[in-house]
Formats: sequence, C-alpha cells, structure tokens
Amino acid sequence: MATAEAAQRFIGGLKEAGVDFVVAVPDINLLELMKALAADRDIEYTPVGREEEGIGVCTGGILTGHRSAILMQNGGFLNSCNGLTTTALQFGIPILLLIYYAGDWGDNAFHMLGLVTEPVLQALDIKYRVLRDPNTLAQQIRGAVTVAEASKRPVALLVTRAVL
Amino acid sequence: MKRAEALEAIKGLVDQEFVVTTAGGATAEWQAIHPSDANLQVKTLGLCSSIGLGLALGQPDRKVIVLDGDGALWMNMSSLGTIGWKQPRHLVHICMDNGQYESSGGTPTVTSARMNFAALARAAGIESAVEVSTPQDFAAAVEHALRVDGPHFIWCRIEPGRADVPPFPYDELENKYRFARFVEQTTGKRIFQQPMPHSYERSLQRPNEAGH
Repeated sequence: MATAEAAQRFIGGLKEAGVDFVVAVPDINLLELMKALAADRDIEYTPVGREEEGIGVCTGGILTGHRSAILMQNGGFLNSCNGLTTTALQFGIPILLLIYYAGDWGDNAFHMLGLVTEPVLQALDIKYRVLRDPNTLAQQIRGAVTVAEASKRPVALLVTRAVL
Repeated sequence: MKRAEALEAIKGLVDQEFVVTTAGGATAEWQAIHPSDANLQVKTLGLCSSIGLGLALGQPDRKVIVLDGDGALWMNMSSLGTIGWKQPRHLVHICMDNGQYESSGGTPTVTSARMNFAALARAAGIESAVEVSTPQDFAAAVEHALRVDGPHFIWCRIEPGRADVPPFPYDELENKYRFARFVEQTTGKRIFQQPMPHSYERSLQRPNEAGH
C-alpha cells in the first residue's frame, strides 16, 4: 500500500529534477502522492477531469517556463493519446508522463491495460522506463526530464507499487 | 455577426495578451486580423481551453485569451469545471459558437439544440459568464474581461462562415518557438534553452548512468 513517506520521496525526486507544475487524475495507488502534491506549496498542482485535458494544461505550463508533469493511470494515458499525438508530439512539448502501471506483472486487475500500455508507448515513439526501485527513483526522474527536454518530446515513467 | 466581424471588433483591445486559438477557422482569421507571436494555434480539438488554463496558471500576471469553438468546448467540457475550480483571474475564455462543426462539413453541434454554455460555465463556478451576439456587445464584454479580474467566460453567438484570409503562416514547431520567445522577451523567463552538452563537462554525472 502506498505510504506518505514514499509520496514525500517521490515529490523530492520531482523537485530535485526541477518539476514545479503537476496535473493529475486519481488512481487508488496514487492517493498518497496526490494528497501530498495538493498540500505542497512549491508545486503548482491542478486536478483535472480527464487526462487529455491535462496534456493541454501541462503544455501551457511548459510554454510559460515550467517543468510540467502529468500523473495518471495507464487507462488515462490511453485517454490522452490524441492530445499526446496532436499537441505534445506535433508541437514538440517535453511533458513528463508519470503513469501508474495497472495490470503490471503480478497485478490481478486491469490485465488488458497492462497488456497494451508498453506497446502503445512504443507505437507513439515515447521513450519510457519502468520504475521498480525506490533507491533509483530520483535518478530516473532526473534522467527522464533530461531526455524530454533534449528531445523536446514527452517521456514516460511507468510507476509501480514498489516505488509508491 | 460572422466570426471575422467579432474578431475585428476586439482587435484594438488586444496588445501583449497571449491568444490561444482553437483548431478551425478562428486560428487563421485571428492571425490575419491581429498578427502576433503571442498567437498560439491548437491542433487537438478541445484542448484550446486547457492550454489557455495552463498558460494562465504558469504566468499568472498575464492576461490569456482563449478563442474556443462550440464543437471544441463540447469535446472538452470538463475544462470548464477545472477553470471554475482553479479560478485563474486572468483567463478570458471566449467560445465562438456557430452551432456547427464548420471545419468538418457543417454538421450541427450541441448548441444547435438546447445547450446554454453561459449557464454551464456559471454552474461550473465561472461567475462572470455572459452571452453576446453583436460586435458591440462582444467588444464591451472583452473590454470588461481584460480590465476586471476573472475568470471570464464569453459565449459569443455567431453565424457560420469563414473569412477569405490566408492560412496560418507557421507550422506547429515554428509557432511554438515564436510563442516561447515572445514569452521569454516579455517575462524574462528562459524556455527551450540549449544546455551545455554533457560530453563537454569535466565531471560526468549523467542522470541515467545507473538507471538501466
């Protein structure tokens, strides 16, 4: 189960990488992280109703000089695919996609989401890593931000329970 | 009132404001009427209002004008709720409503029946929400919205029909960079700057080295 301590570690990694603008749609496994983000005064935090909306809000954040991330479940990632394609990829917007990996190895729910998530990321040519080690979390977030900004493209981190 | 007449009526009111225009006729018409690097086109139907919200949250001291459409707003109605929640005081959300998907052949949208977008915006928490249908009333509503804190929603009822203007002159990448440089020049921020390549640095601490 996600803990408040893990949420603080995650937020620490985001801040260390310079992320200061986050939008989110809930998943039960992201609960602690979203609570901590909502309470954090250094991060501009926007809960949105639908994930594609979040791609738009992140784009506005980036075009006004912020490092932006969207936090969502992989079902929501699928929901955001048109925005990712015709805004983030077509304009070259470096959004950090933090995607909770439902249907991951060993998860008995959302098996179909688990099956298609990585192939869809590959089809969109979005670079990604799966986060499984809490000890390298901050390093992976820094790496993702570096690659996103160098390539002017969204980059994804698939977030598993092991780091929440 | 056609869309171009409405836009003509407000061109003198707009100076350094960011203007985000929805996928459709509004983009080329606004650029022809008011050419500026502060104009940002949108290619995802519906995301105009969300990108505008992001700009307003990211640069809270700057007025942001969103030129949305009725089909686009219907596709992203949740953005009204998010705007009502966040209350960005400098966001001016305009919906140019011709009751149809003009760029997709003219089939009717939800506003051709009973939808009232101004009432919807108000119910979503955007208290300053008005309906206008003449160039004079539209200009007065925009003038008010640019002077008084919002968020504001202006439901502008127009007739269908595109003006005979050239296409928007920039592709997505050139538009993005021009817009970002405009933001840099008028705010002092740095956006899309090139860092020193890591290969030039003496101490190599690349973020991904142990991350495989």
